Amino acid sequence: MSELLNNLIHDARIWQGHRQTPTRQTTESTGYHELDRQLGATGWPVGALSECLLDGAGIGELHLVLPLMKRVSAAGRTVFWVNPPYTPYVPALSQAGVALSQVVVIRTSSKSDTLWTLENCLRSPVTGLVLAWPGHLANRDTRRLQLAAEAGNTSCIVFRPRQAGQHSSPAALRLDLTPAPRQGLQIRVLKRRGGWPGQSCQLALGDRTGLASTDTSRIIAGPWSDASA
Amino acid sequence: MLWLYLHFPHLLLDHVRRSRENPVATAIVEGSPPQVRQACPLAQQQGVSPGMRLKTALSLVPDLAIAQLKPSQEHVILEQQARWLYRYAAQLVLYPPDGLLLEASSLLRLYGNLDSLWQALIQAASRRQLTLRLATGLTPKATRLLARADRGQCTQDTATLTRTLNQLPLADTELEPGTLTRLRRLGLTHLGEVFQLPPKELARRLDPDTLAFLQRIQGSRPDPQAFWQPPHRFHQHIDFICDVEQTQGLLFPLHPMLSELEEDLQWRQVDTDRLQLTLHHRDGDTQTLSVCRSGPEHRASAFLELIRLRLESHPLNAPVCAMALTVTRFLPRDTPSGTDLLGETFDLREAWQTLTSRLQARLGEQALQQLAPHADHRPERAWVTTPLQRPRKPGAERSWSHPPARPLWLLPAPEPLQQSPEHWLAGPERICSGWWDGRQVQRDYYTAQLPDGQVAWIFRDVRDGWFIHGWFG
Repeated sequence: MSELLNNLIHDARIWQGHRQTPTRQTTESTGYHELDRQLGATGWPVGALSECLLDGAGIGELHLVLPLMKRVSAAGRTVFWVNPPYTPYVPALSQAGVALSQVVVIRTSSKSDTLWTLENCLRSPVTGLVLAWPGHLANRDTRRLQLAAEAGNTSCIVFRPRQAGQHSSPAALRLDLTPAPRQGLQIRVLKRRGGWPGQSCQLALGDRTGLASTDTSRIIAGPWSDASA
Repeated sequence: MLWLYLHFPHLLLDHVRRSRENPVATAIVEGSPPQVRQACPLAQQQGVSPGMRLKTALSLVPDLAIAQLKPSQEHVILEQQARWLYRYAAQLVLYPPDGLLLEASSLLRLYGNLDSLWQALIQAASRRQLTLRLATGLTPKATRLLARADRGQCTQDTATLTRTLNQLPLADTELEPGTLTRLRRLGLTHLGEVFQLPPKELARRLDPDTLAFLQRIQGSRPDPQAFWQPPHRFHQHIDFICDVEQTQGLLFPLHPMLSELEEDLQWRQVDTDRLQLTLHHRDGDTQTLSVCRSGPEHRASAFLELIRLRLESHPLNAPVCAMALTVTRFLPRDTPSGTDLLGETFDLREAWQTLTSRLQARLGEQALQQLAPHADHRPERAWVTTPLQRPRKPGAERSWSHPPARPLWLLPAPEPLQQSPEHWLAGPERICSGWWDGRQVQRDYYTAQLPDGQVAWIFRDVRDGWFIHGWFG
């Protein structure tokens, strides 16, 4: 068999029905056992692109990557935030244990600058993790980023709107994020390298607001009770 | 004492020709009506000669490239030559507009003999594409005359040097025209014949200044020299024959300038992190680009890459007729070692500097930010942006603990709450602060989940308005 085909099979990039080789790609645990289990005992792929598809901020999307961010920054590697939609809030990051000296926020003004910046960050050995909000991405742009992440052996997590999930993407991992009851996060695996997609799980992220989600008795009901009634 | 004189017969021409990739017939023009002052060999082959009227020269060579230079520029260009020559000799004297004198006897031990010093100078000049005439001599004035008359020989033999000097025609001695005519009428044609006249007679027949000049040539009267000291900054200036309209055209002449800078930094054993590039436009405007690197560097290729990125994002707003490169900030050089105390390798530090410098060159310095906490109770003031710096010690910073939970996202400005929340999760937390600086806030913060599942950090202000201030991402 040709060398190319052998490579494809051994790297678990091709389906073989019942006999699926486990992927040899290095991964970083997500920090959530339930999610790791659903991803076939792996985690965030290193040296590849991951996509998180979500509609609105505030459903726990940053908490999903927080364990990885914490680990990367503690290891002395830089976390780049490229074009975040809002300001990463320093007291909360610091409270969560992220080393702030390793966090660099980059804002670009044009589409081509964004792609260029992402590529440069991904190829550099100082980079541990790149979080990107690139806006609209064409398929060939995603491919460029995927190649850059492979070359630099860095993790890149791209946040995109959910409608992008209808189109194919060369990313190694694609997660569809929706809110779940009790401030949880519903994760559906749209694609993962070396395994079948379609798994889903719920993460209880209710404690991100600082209180156990059940404990609502201490809240003083505002004037909303009147307004909503 | 042995002196060495470097005469650059067409320094200006060599200077402007450096910025051209392919040689064309070039001439330096000055005065009004304009006259050709220096012509390159290519132009001379076609009949252009110094002293010719510009009109004549143009009718001979229609596509002659013409450069017009101010006298003040000549001095700057000569200093550029002194700067590299300073690496070969410590005691230098500038002889504007086109000569440099150096004291050679103290160098002979370093170079072994005069021959190797001579060869080193010739090689250095040819590397810089400079036309050079060298001469040795026993006094500064004599050396200068020999070099300008192109009678220089690589020798330190006193007899030979005296003989050559004696055979120098009087026309080459830079004496005043009146004195020259008088000496010629006396039947004297060579310098040696004048030297044989008794000094008293000379002073009486000519004038005391001429006698002093002749005695300085011979060395019987002291001729103190003011030695040149290099300034503690790097400055290179280049003039273009024709205006440069595209950034690509600037990169080619930048290459030798940056190589010169690299060599200069190498000799001083320093680095720099800040270059200033000044572009002069035809209408007198100047455009200054300052190119910064986040760490010290000396390699020309690294600077060229940064300047290329910088020029790509800032296109030229007018054609450029001259360009200058200035460096005033010098940093002592670190010796690269394996790993430092904190276990950080040199490679990683360099990679960080390369990455951030590249990003800043293209996106602007403000595009990259680091964040730091700030002691203030008002949420929008509890953080500041800090200039970029390489983190030194991982995990050494103090972790900030806020008893109440804070959201990971903060909105740039509070937004009005449009829909009523579904669940109330926490609150209220009253923040009332800032009465001292006129930006007082009095807010009750709640954590609530909106109908579409987003967990928001909302507040009610004094006027009973409800706003979203953050998201629990």
